[in-house]
Amino acid sequence: MQLTSHGITVDLPPGWEGRIIKRTQPSPAPSVGKGTAALGGSGREERTYPITHLANFALPNDRGDFGSGAVDLMDGSHVFVTLFEYGPESVGQPLFRDQGRPTRVRAAQFSPNQLQRTLAGQAGFQVFFTEQGRAFSLYIVLGSADNARPLVALANEVLAAITIDPR
Amino acid sequence: MTAVVVVEAVALVILAVLVAGLLRSHAAILRRLHELGDPTRRPEPREVTFRPMPGMPEPSAQASAFPDGRDLQGTDLHGDAMVVSAVGTHHDTVLAFLSSGCSTCTRFWRAFADQEALHLPQGTRLVAVVKDASEESPSALADLVPPGLVVIMSSAAWADYRVPGSPYFVFVEGTTGRVRGEGTGLDWEQVASLLAQASGDLRFTMGEAGRRIGKPAADAERELELDRALLALGIQPGDPVLYQQATAPSFLADEDAGAGEGTETPSRPE
Repeated sequence: MQLTSHGITVDLPPGWEGRIIKRTQPSPAPSVGKGTAALGGSGREERTYPITHLANFALPNDRGDFGSGAVDLMDGSHVFVTLFEYGPESVGQPLFRDQGRPTRVRAAQFSPNQLQRTLAGQAGFQVFFTEQGRAFSLYIVLGSADNARPLVALANEVLAAITIDPR
Repeated sequence: MTAVVVVEAVALVILAVLVAGLLRSHAAILRRLHELGDPTRRPEPREVTFRPMPGMPEPSAQASAFPDGRDLQGTDLHGDAMVVSAVGTHHDTVLAFLSSGCSTCTRFWRAFADQEALHLPQGTRLVAVVKDASEESPSALADLVPPGLVVIMSSAAWADYRVPGSPYFVFVEGTTGRVRGEGTGLDWEQVASLLAQASGDLRFTMGEAGRRIGKPAADAERELELDRALLALGIQPGDPVLYQQATAPSFLADEDAGAGEGTETPSRPE
């Protein structure tokens, strides 16, 4: 089943579901820029950019940009992936200097310290990169750090199924 | 002397005929035994057909035509892309095909505001499916859809699940991806009853109390035994062969043909 919108396409493996959303109003900023860009001036008009959520479990309606509300529902067999786009002003910034998203991640790269929201037993991984002239953050949560190896294999399967087109 | 020779010759001819007859009948016996096979070996599974007992109601043609479950592709009410997975999942899914225009649907939109009160079994997810924005009114839906309810706009899903109209409900078993039941009702109580029958899970109607009510052990064992026998023959739930007209095995057909007038066969009441 294919999920496609805003120049992002994911050929979802069986059992996976996903959303590609674009906030109508930006939510409070997380770690970096929060996928919004102020267009300047006192008008405070802000642009938002696509956020892709992928999961091998039932995604709830109410989810934060980095999965709050969803990661709470994960069990030891679950994987959650966020592909978060930042504005064009982020392209060329040092944080986004890596070209291309990782298509293979390793279990050793995951750690509870990388979780946006620390939940017992879970492990996370976050990386920033630029692809097709678009700046992204990839954030992955494993439902069980102890079960990392098979879960990372699942994550790699869905990472390989993502296609990003130029804006 | 000549007479003795003649008598011996005749006796020899008669004995030769008797020996030949014995050899022939022995060969025939061996051939039949060979056809029957080795009685110590288990017979190979053969193709069989099943049907309800004569006089019993048959499943409708639709019963064997439940479509396989499908994942759902569409958008949310804001037009954002979404894919909802119902197949190959650890959870089961109740798909509620609703619309903004049907008056009966209003009861369901209201009922879905309190999902705890629906008594959905743990691990069962409720998803409302409405048609695409070109056939629906997102603004009207925005007034109807309660917070927290997953709603997907997908006319394709209506076609995939052959939905005849709204409201309509489909229960998809996640692990097998099979549709276990479908139908409609005037309110959630009726639909919950339908789901309980389709899934055999009384929690749809009784909440967690239904978990404690099981089938009698003998029924459960008999059911398990039958399921195993059918699966050993490669026949799975919903297999069309379960709904075909039975054909008698050839040896029974032969016996029927030679049974004469004294044999009665059951006939289906008109």
